[in-house]
Amino acid sequence: MKTPIAYFLIVSAALFTIGTIGVMVRRNALVMFMSIELQLNGVNLALVAFSRMHGDLTGQVITFFSLVVAAAEVVVGLAIIVNVFRRRRSTNVDDLSLLKW
Amino acid sequence: MLRYIWLVPALPLAGFVVNLFAGRRLGRAAGWLASTLMVASLGVAVSIGAELLSRPAGDRVAVQHLFDWIQVGTFRANVDLRVDPLSLTMILVVTAVGSLIHVYSIGYMHDDPRYGRFFAYMNLFCFFMLTLVLAENLLVLYVGWEGVGLCSYLLIGFWFERPSAASAAKKAFVTTRIGDTFMLVGIALVFLRLGSLDFSVVLSPSIAAVQPSGVFTVIALLLFAGAIGKSAQVPLHVWLPDAMEGPTPVSALIHAATMVTAGVYLVVRTHVFFEISGIALAVVIVVGLVTALYAGLCALGQDDIKRVLAYSTISQLGFMFLAAGMRAYAAAMFMLVAHAAYKALLFLSAGSVMHGLHGETDMTRMGGLRRAMPWTAVVMGIGALSLAGVYGFAGYFAKDQILTIASESGRVVGYVLGVLGAFLSVLYIGRLVFLTFFGEPRSDAAREAHESPAVMLGPLVVLAIGAVGLGLLEINIETGRLAVFLGSVLGAFESGAAGPAEAVLVVVSQLLVVGGLAIAWIVYGSGRVDWLALRMRLAGPKRFLKGGMYVDDVYSTALVAPGEAGSAFLAYVFDTDAVDGAVNGVGSLFQRLARTGRRLQTGLVRTYALAFLIGALVLFVYVGSRS
Repeated sequence: MKTPIAYFLIVSAALFTIGTIGVMVRRNALVMFMSIELQLNGVNLALVAFSRMHGDLTGQVITFFSLVVAAAEVVVGLAIIVNVFRRRRSTNVDDLSLLKW
Repeated sequence: MLRYIWLVPALPLAGFVVNLFAGRRLGRAAGWLASTLMVASLGVAVSIGAELLSRPAGDRVAVQHLFDWIQVGTFRANVDLRVDPLSLTMILVVTAVGSLIHVYSIGYMHDDPRYGRFFAYMNLFCFFMLTLVLAENLLVLYVGWEGVGLCSYLLIGFWFERPSAASAAKKAFVTTRIGDTFMLVGIALVFLRLGSLDFSVVLSPSIAAVQPSGVFTVIALLLFAGAIGKSAQVPLHVWLPDAMEGPTPVSALIHAATMVTAGVYLVVRTHVFFEISGIALAVVIVVGLVTALYAGLCALGQDDIKRVLAYSTISQLGFMFLAAGMRAYAAAMFMLVAHAAYKALLFLSAGSVMHGLHGETDMTRMGGLRRAMPWTAVVMGIGALSLAGVYGFAGYFAKDQILTIASESGRVVGYVLGVLGAFLSVLYIGRLVFLTFFGEPRSDAAREAHESPAVMLGPLVVLAIGAVGLGLLEINIETGRLAVFLGSVLGAFESGAAGPAEAVLVVVSQLLVVGGLAIAWIVYGSGRVDWLALRMRLAGPKRFLKGGMYVDDVYSTALVAPGEAGSAFLAYVFDTDAVDGAVNGVGSLFQRLARTGRRLQTGLVRTYALAFLIGALVLFVYVGSRS
């Protein structure tokens, strides 16, 4: 007996929502970063679940791509955060508002 | 020898090229080189003339094909040179007078810093003028026509450091361009309606059957408009008096002897069109008469010696058009030849006077020059007598013939007005001579005047011989040598028998000449009349005539002022407000938009994240609601 798709989707939506709220409310860049990872993984979970439901491997393939992109993004993002912290002694994103008008 | 027709224009062209590039290095030699080439060109022209004369009268046409020029569809214009009695007459005038004036210029332009360039331009002018008269089709003629206009512009403005010279050059160029534009339209119409531009095709008498005569009227009037501009006839005459800003040899060559007569040549050359039309001939007569009288009156009011001669030229050209309008083409051509001699002589003598007086041109500051400049006085006197039409001089035969034709063909009004014009010419030329050479010197420059060098006097003497002797060419319109010679091109002329006998007309004209000279002598030469007081009393009419009857002022009020106002509106209102306004408006619109829009960029990551979220939600709802 297969687990109903709804369960996967509920977990996926929960992960995504937690991630979204995390991005919106937290100001620490590292925490925001982790929240984004949560969002990504929520989406990945939904993709895998739908892939299984349809018996089509395309969703799982896309998930691999998504993981690779996320890894690359983490490398770049963490490097930026480390450098910003070294320079400004802070990871509070509200302090980093130089790129405005 | 007819194979060498091309040498006639090619020699001056060679002189132009050499003097243009090496004129400065050649120094004094530039003038001699240019003059030598002109004399060589004259020699070729003379030998061509001798060969043409040796042929039977019916066989005196030669066309030389130089090269194919334009061939598009049925349109065909080749560079061909045509020698027939008419063009031969013209090239002889151009090369002969041109040679003399070139030699004269060696003395006159002696101290000019742009000596080489002057001769380059003069040679270029002769090249274009010879191209004009030798052309076998209307398009090549037009090239020469515009070319002489260009040279006229360059030479009027030769002393361009003077603002008056620069603006006179511009005025001459623009004014003649008005006529030229009409002429170009006329040439286009000739091709459109008659299918060719070659003289051998379009000027055959059988062409009349091709199109209704109205077409020929339009063509003839358009071509005549070009002639009006080039020959300074009313109403496009305003440029010629101002053109006197140029060096005097230029005035003599371009604005008396050759270029301004191109209009007469054009009418005579294309007389077939004018005759088929008939109306066009009447227009030519009216314009010629009006111009002859108008310019004769204006010449009386001028104080500048060159401006008197300029108005005189306009008036004499009017006589030529009068003759052409009466179908007496040979008379027009003879007047052209004689006028080229005596008017060039008068201009060059005036130049000699100016040379002796260090550039003084105001006749009221001359006087008594016959003692200091005897040679100049004698030759200018001969020129004046020829212009006045004293019996035996070339000018007499030319002008009297035209008046006789007017009388014998029953044109009483034309005859009376013509005689009046001739009387005016006696008055103004008498005034000029008596003011300049008689009485007492009226300025220091006149007291210290000196005679000009031999290189200037030589050409004057030759021209003086021409001004007397050319009358031998043409004693009578029916049997005169020039008339018979030109007859193969222009057809024979049959004068009528209306009006009084010829002897009566001669007596009338000679009485007027003597009377006119006597009046001029009493007022300006005898010292018995205080003409300075007279001109004070007649200040109003004098100003009216001196200003050319205010035609210039009318033009500047009616044409120039609205033009300037329109340009000012376009430049300072339309351009700054509408054109620049549109450009600047678009710019400032985006600036204002950006000033508001950039507030969206807060720089806070969370704002952007929120925007993403809202956007994603909107998309989600939108996609959801559609399915």
